Amino acid sequence: MTARPALAALGIVAAASLLVAPQADSEPISGPRLDYVLHCMGCHLEDGSGAPGRVPALAGVGRFLRVPAGRAYLVRVPGSAHAPLDDSALAALLNWMLLRFDPDAAAAPPFRPYDAAEVARHRAAPLSDADAERRRLLAVLERSATTAP
Amino acid sequence: MSRPETHAIERLLDRWAETTARRLARGLSRRSVLGRLGAVLAGAATLPLLPVSRVSAAPSEPTPAAPEGIEGPEGDPSSCQYWRHCAIDGFLCSCCGGSHTACPPGTTMSPVTWIGTCRNPADGRQYVISYNDCCGKSMCARCFCNRNEGDRPAYLPPKSNDINWCVAAPSTVYHCSTAIVLGVAAEP
Repeated sequence: MTARPALAALGIVAAASLLVAPQADSEPISGPRLDYVLHCMGCHLEDGSGAPGRVPALAGVGRFLRVPAGRAYLVRVPGSAHAPLDDSALAALLNWMLLRFDPDAAAAPPFRPYDAAEVARHRAAPLSDADAERRRLLAVLERSATTAP
Repeated sequence: MSRPETHAIERLLDRWAETTARRLARGLSRRSVLGRLGAVLAGAATLPLLPVSRVSAAPSEPTPAAPEGIEGPEGDPSSCQYWRHCAIDGFLCSCCGGSHTACPPGTTMSPVTWIGTCRNPADGRQYVISYNDCCGKSMCARCFCNRNEGDRPAYLPPKSNDINWCVAAPSTVYHCSTAIVLGVAAEP
């Protein structure tokens, strides 16, 4: 009888070891991905899903590239504009993020990656009300989608 | 392979299977076999209850051992001086009924978190640490640890450990903090 709990525990441990992925990556985390982990992932989460109602999800983030103000928006949001990264590192991070979380939109021509000069330009005008600008842009994008041929 | 050889192998396998089955039947009662099988199945049936997301990938049982496969002496996870705590600001969950990777019973791990890096003295490498808060019970108030390496002022919220990171949890009441290793950071 005493073997049963032990065996049950063994069953759980054995199967759990198959289910739970190892937490620590063996490969070092580097480059824009490391910047994402250190400066974005705490809120946007590893899969970019964010926290509904509090932190926007990153899926579909490439739609903002369709309008110039949207392109600027991704740099002007507080998380980007105030990140402790220089302009070229932020440009690399944004390009990585677009390809990671919206590969279709980001890869579709004419995808033009951010560079340090563009980031510096948009960064000079950080948003004081990112939520309002987001709502405005989403409305603009929706209108342009419905009026498109 | 020719037919006589195939038959010889079949006979051998047959004999081996029969001997094994008889030996098992002699050594084990039917009830004990069913009992053990049932116990293992019951254990496996609880698997869907196990957490699988990043947040809850920590072991379900509080444990002082390093679960992330980091080599070298692990140190004392209930000590403030423990290497992973280099950027923590809060009560150590290992003193509050949980562990450095698991929330105490009755609390929920906040999905959003503050993330920093700490150097592991065992191998000299920088590790990315996620300080997920455990939420849903009043402050643990034991083993306060405030080390703040890499911490930034609250006007840089994503880099500040002064924030109540329970803000996106089902309950915003802060209880204690964990220190979960996410991976090795490449050196600049």
